[in-house]
Amino acid sequence: MKIGLYPKIAADGIRKNGRLYVPYIATCILMIAIFYIMHLLGYSDMLQNFAGSGTARDTLQLGTVIMAVFGTIFLFYTQSTLIKGRKKEFGLYNVLGMNRVNLGRIMFFETAIIWIVSMTGGLLVGIGMSKLAELGFTKMIGSSVSYQFTISADSIAATITVYSLIFLFIYLNALRQIWFTRTINLLHSDKAGEKPPKANWVIGILGLIILLSGYTIAIRIESPLSALFWFFIAVILIIIGTYLVLIAGSVLLCRILQKNKSYYYKTNHFVSVSSMAFRMKRNGAGLASICILLTMILVMISSTSALYFNREETLRNRYPNQINVAARQDGLFENYEEYTSKMETAVAKCAEEFGTEVSDPMSVASYGLSGYYDNNGTVDIDLDPYATLSSTLDFDRVVQVYFFDLETYNRLNNKNETLSPGHILLGIDGNIQAVNELTVGKKTFEVEKTIDYKDGKLKYAVGTSVVSTFVLVVDDLNEAVADYSEYIDTFGNPMLAWVWNYNFDTGLDTESQLEMRSKISEYIDNEIDDPDFVRYFCFSREAERNDFVSTFGGLFFLGILLSIIFMVSCVLIIYYKQISEGYEDQSRFSIMQKVGMTKENIKKSINSQMLTVFLIPIAFACIHLATVLPIVHKLLLLFGHNNIPLLIMTAGICVLICGVFYALTYKLTSNAYYKIVS
Amino acid sequence: MSLLEVTGVKKIYKGRRGGASVEALKNVNFTVENGEYVAIMGESGSGKTTLLNVLAALDKATSGTILLDGMNLSTIKDSAMAKFRRDNLGYVFQDFNLLDTFTLEDNIYLPLVLAGKKHSDMKARLDKLAPALGITDILKKYPYEVSGGQKQRAAVARALITNPKIVLADEPTGALDSKSSDELLELFSKVNQMGQTVLMVTHSTKAASHASRVMFIKDGIIFHQIYRGNSTDTEMYQKISDTLNLLAQGGDLK
Repeated sequence: MKIGLYPKIAADGIRKNGRLYVPYIATCILMIAIFYIMHLLGYSDMLQNFAGSGTARDTLQLGTVIMAVFGTIFLFYTQSTLIKGRKKEFGLYNVLGMNRVNLGRIMFFETAIIWIVSMTGGLLVGIGMSKLAELGFTKMIGSSVSYQFTISADSIAATITVYSLIFLFIYLNALRQIWFTRTINLLHSDKAGEKPPKANWVIGILGLIILLSGYTIAIRIESPLSALFWFFIAVILIIIGTYLVLIAGSVLLCRILQKNKSYYYKTNHFVSVSSMAFRMKRNGAGLASICILLTMILVMISSTSALYFNREETLRNRYPNQINVAARQDGLFENYEEYTSKMETAVAKCAEEFGTEVSDPMSVASYGLSGYYDNNGTVDIDLDPYATLSSTLDFDRVVQVYFFDLETYNRLNNKNETLSPGHILLGIDGNIQAVNELTVGKKTFEVEKTIDYKDGKLKYAVGTSVVSTFVLVVDDLNEAVADYSEYIDTFGNPMLAWVWNYNFDTGLDTESQLEMRSKISEYIDNEIDDPDFVRYFCFSREAERNDFVSTFGGLFFLGILLSIIFMVSCVLIIYYKQISEGYEDQSRFSIMQKVGMTKENIKKSINSQMLTVFLIPIAFACIHLATVLPIVHKLLLLFGHNNIPLLIMTAGICVLICGVFYALTYKLTSNAYYKIVS
Repeated sequence: MSLLEVTGVKKIYKGRRGGASVEALKNVNFTVENGEYVAIMGESGSGKTTLLNVLAALDKATSGTILLDGMNLSTIKDSAMAKFRRDNLGYVFQDFNLLDTFTLEDNIYLPLVLAGKKHSDMKARLDKLAPALGITDILKKYPYEVSGGQKQRAAVARALITNPKIVLADEPTGALDSKSSDELLELFSKVNQMGQTVLMVTHSTKAASHASRVMFIKDGIIFHQIYRGNSTDTEMYQKISDTLNLLAQGGDLK
């Protein structure tokens, strides 16, 4: 036999089975393209300019791994279906005198052809889509931003490596199937009934336990700092759980339904339940994959759109006024009032220069400390919390302690409180119980009254914190914190920090505001004798707005881009699955028609089957979404986003949009299926 | 009135794209009485499968009428056809046509489930039928777990469970070994003795020798038939072989 024969037979085989191979190759191409894009985004330097690039990249890296695992599982299953349909052909070759080595060679060329086509196609589509994305990106957030969708050699290499391995696996599996089947069984394989899967209680229950523990972690997570770590754990548990539950649990469910005679022996349920029970094991993996994809879409879009649409509020929370001057000093700062009044004078002079004056000013000095709360009235600041915590990961007990003086509190929040000596007003944010006596370090404060510090402008001085917060309103600021100046962290820096915020509006237009921001520092440097004495920063809300738009817009765009890709692959998977099943079912439905099944029955039975197949993943995805939403909220806190109703709303809208897409796919698929079987 | 009356049935397959059309059935006339066991014999291409398909309403005759218990098959609408088949006909196929996703029991229930019967009714019917067919022990098994003979018996059960007016069998022994074939033919005789009308299409002399009447079809027409009368199976077998021999020699029996 000439060598050229094998590639020819292999190519013919693919061409003749085109109706199954074309969608298969299309799926391969899409998977590879997705993997490439995910890898590109997750591992290249492209996203470096994002404020939230850390989270985005970590998530995308996790996504890349998930895509690889998911791709393997899905392609593996699809390919076994393909090979099953072709066993007869191989049996015939076998009878005609080819031995198993020859068959293996045909298999090799077949896999190789598919590998080459999908690799080339996948990378081209991936590069094309990323280029297209670049265009959309610059359109959306302005050309000033330098997010470049480059072609990354690393990502190409990674994609080729991973998918070549997957294809090698697929090839070996195909080889195994042919090698260990006897000729006669090859010939008759399409007639030989498949063994119905047994209901596996152990795996089903195990899957349920894993899934529930993933949910529990997701719901119980408290601190956004530890959220990312636990988020990954929860995601992995939920994915594994979903696969196990859908693979084993769905067979169980079908078996239970079959036991219920009055349900099972109904015209609409009979055929669909039994055929689902039969292929759930194979279906389970596909359904789980769809479910995971849908969940990814829902989580990505709802979180990034919540960020994007809430950007103005986030911005205003962070920068309540047009211009913000902030100063910082480590340790105790005696006579800070003298310094701050100099700064205020400098700012006023600068405003004068610009022909306007400072309006609605808010001047707040405070001290901050971080510590480790024992949940029982004592904040430990002896140990360096972050050094300790990096090993224990218990971020839930980290607290931020802020000190304000009474005058500031009364001024900002329009109060008229008084304090008895040695007493404080205590404001609490986070998952901490109110106490009557708070010990910070070695000093104990009697709590006069618990306050809600967020009911006034003081909240802007505290800001959105990612950890729990104590706000201590004291009589004399420097006296209250004097004891803490001796504490230093592992780097030798004082742990106590003095912070001054000076926020104000001006009567200037946007451009002048920006100009004024850059001018202020000159004035401050002139006013203060020793300019290196304190560190200070100037922010302009208008300048920050661009940053917010580009960051959140970028994330939102990423979310949309990935969602479109995922949605398309979802649709493709569903379509492909149903079509290939349709061909398998053709003979079954023709038998049933001979036995007396009407067209009406066929339609009903298809609908019942399709609805289940379609509803399971989206129902699961919604449950997944609902349970990871708390974590998502915690993660969004890192971006200063704290708008739960909006998050819930975007999640709801996403579910709706997905549902519509899904319904269209459903209609399309069931029509195609019906055409095949009737 | 006969149970089945076939008058002047013609079936022409139109050639594709102007190709020559084939006349599979030229002019078929016969009747089947209630409780009869009729075999139709013929070689491949004689039109016997076409005839059966037309009788089973799986295919429409080009012209002629088929009356089953007074109902004209050609007047039944397409949409009602499946229901008609389900209610009036039992069909036994050469290759069993059992669904591998169902246990044998569920396979047998299928037509009743499609008809919307209650499970208790179905079970009562099967309990009566199963011992006679010798399939009580294998009902919970899947088709791939049982032998061809057992599969075919389950298929017979599926055809009988609706209490059809007539059972149509298309080469029911075609895929069976000789022992299983014998058992199945015994079964058909038994079923027939219980009063079930059976019409079987076959090219096996042995299968036909169990029937009470054998019709011979060739080139789309029924050109001869023989009655069992009081003959034993062996004598019947002899009669049929003689006829077939004559046929093969091109003799004219008319």
